[in-house]
Amino acid sequence: MIQLNDIKQMLLQQGYITDESVAMSVFLSLKLNKPLLIEGPAGVGKTEIAKVMAKALQTDLIRLQCYEGLDATHALYEWNYQRQLLHLKMTEHTAQSIDEKEQTIFGDAFLMKRPLLQAITQDKRPVLLIDEIDRSDEEFESFLLEVLSDWQITIPEIGTIKAINIPQVILTGNRTRELSEALRRRCLYLYIDYPDFEKEYLIVKNKVNGADTKLATQITKFMQELRVMKLEKTPGIAETLDWAAALSALHIDYLNKEIIEQTLGVVLKDWRDTRQVQMSLSELMEKTGVIPKIDRA
Amino acid sequence: MSFQKLTGHDFSPNIFICKYCSVLPFLANKSFVLSVEEETTALTALQFIDYHDKNIFRTALKAVCCRSKQQLNEFDALFNQYWKEIADAGDAKLKQEQQPAAKPVVKDASFKSLKAWLNGKKSDEIEEVASYSLYESLSQKNFADVPDDEVEELMRNIRALSKRLAAHINRRYEKDNRINLPDLRRTLRKNLRRGGELLELAFRKPKQNRTKLVVICDVSRSMELYAAFLLQFMYAFQQVYKRVETFAFSTSLQHITQLLKQNDFHAAMRLLSAQNEGWSGGTRIGKSLHAFVKDHVLKFLDKKTIIVIMSDGWDTGDIDLLQQSMEVIHNRSKKVIWLNPLAGYTDYKPHVAGMKAALPFINVFAPVHNAESLRSLGKWL
Repeated sequence: MIQLNDIKQMLLQQGYITDESVAMSVFLSLKLNKPLLIEGPAGVGKTEIAKVMAKALQTDLIRLQCYEGLDATHALYEWNYQRQLLHLKMTEHTAQSIDEKEQTIFGDAFLMKRPLLQAITQDKRPVLLIDEIDRSDEEFESFLLEVLSDWQITIPEIGTIKAINIPQVILTGNRTRELSEALRRRCLYLYIDYPDFEKEYLIVKNKVNGADTKLATQITKFMQELRVMKLEKTPGIAETLDWAAALSALHIDYLNKEIIEQTLGVVLKDWRDTRQVQMSLSELMEKTGVIPKIDRA
Repeated sequence: MSFQKLTGHDFSPNIFICKYCSVLPFLANKSFVLSVEEETTALTALQFIDYHDKNIFRTALKAVCCRSKQQLNEFDALFNQYWKEIADAGDAKLKQEQQPAAKPVVKDASFKSLKAWLNGKKSDEIEEVASYSLYESLSQKNFADVPDDEVEELMRNIRALSKRLAAHINRRYEKDNRINLPDLRRTLRKNLRRGGELLELAFRKPKQNRTKLVVICDVSRSMELYAAFLLQFMYAFQQVYKRVETFAFSTSLQHITQLLKQNDFHAAMRLLSAQNEGWSGGTRIGKSLHAFVKDHVLKFLDKKTIIVIMSDGWDTGDIDLLQQSMEVIHNRSKKVIWLNPLAGYTDYKPHVAGMKAALPFINVFAPVHNAESLRSLGKWL
């Protein structure tokens, strides 16, 4: 039987640096069979939790990427009607009755399973990642509520398909809109914020092969200071890791003004942010200890 | 209901657990919505953890009871408060305090922060401003009461919701019962390259909704606390929804569609302020709507156009002019929606002369005091 410490170990083994609240939420979500709703800014490792869980539990990860206009058809199933037409054409001159033909073309071979149907028909309990649920429409959210509570899907031509195993569901969102109270009630809630210095430093050291200790410290301090600035698009851990990996690949083991200016595009993705940071680069470098502090008094 | 009954497991209820469990009603009294289902889940969770460890118990309860970022932020303080009260009361029955009364915000502070935000000054100093409720979600917070440190996030939320709303309306289709039927002409054409062998089916597509919108926003002094948020909404909306014409007025009307096409919202606002001398001044709704009727009605209004007027209805000008203009607008448009920020207050009644004069010509009268009310605009578009 999995215990709380096992979850911490499992996540750590997969290279996911975690804290008590993340481990507890994942643990209870597994134990209580409840979906886990994870919110937080972009690039803090929300999606990564699902990937890591799938790896740790040695099961499949099924991902449903939400977007505006996503409807039930794209999430559940579709009939491969081209294949159905070809099949009908091939059996045109056979002695099969219309009923028999109909039964054949509405069988498993012609059914294209989309993520939700795929998730409930797996032999081993998969991890179902419903990514960026806040980007989907409210209608889809209501539909999802139904699936999450009944765990069965009705296909008119076949009948009702009940879940073989109830998947471990992870929902993520960036708070671009408020999710309904009904959905929140069905889930355990976890908010992942930007990491503090210690956690981010550990993540860099753990994830980027060959990251120099001095460089990792400087990068982490710099990123922490960047997040204090009010930017249009605050960089997340993903950007920190990209930057650390880029600098490591360039065999750079310390930061200086020139290097920062040349590689700022890895971290900042908005021209206004880039301009703002460039204008206060010296001050930022002083704060992060890249250059010694000058007493302006 | 006993603990054993709730969990369905062989747990012997004891004083220790009962004491721990009483934290749930305590939280429920502090605006945490905890139904029997949540309480059951919380108790079921206990069997999987070492609940004698206060820290583990707190983390588990937090994971089960919280449903939003705000609740997560408040949980630790409430949890500690609970134990403090337990300690203070000894073994006596816990006296549950009434939830503290809501403290209204100092409007000047919100106004100051809004001004600073509009001028592009991003202050690092966080001013202490009282808020209505610890748990009040940002989207439900009245625009007039948004504290300094939340303006940025609210603006971001409005941008996102506005774009979503615009995309949603863009995707709408006209009602048609013939959709999803195969389209024979297009099917044959699609399959011509296969020698007419029908492999790909084409279906009838519904006609897209082509509703045009005209938005007129009051930016006079009485609307100053709301105008920035409404302009932000219109700015983001216009980026996605192309069939919209935008106007702003205080003492005179200004066509701002082109101005709101600037890359940067702050630059657009600066241009607007520079061009409009009466910006944040008195209100002449009648005169402004008359100018709209005179100069723009023929070009922009028809029976496929919905007109949205965002104003509090405080008019210091000619009420007859307002009435006449509203009548023309009403007759020439598909629908007139009047959004009034003051309508968000429960005791609000449209008694001001301007509002009274306009009411007979309005199809939808609704509040526009928070992000949630902007979202519900979608119902009428």
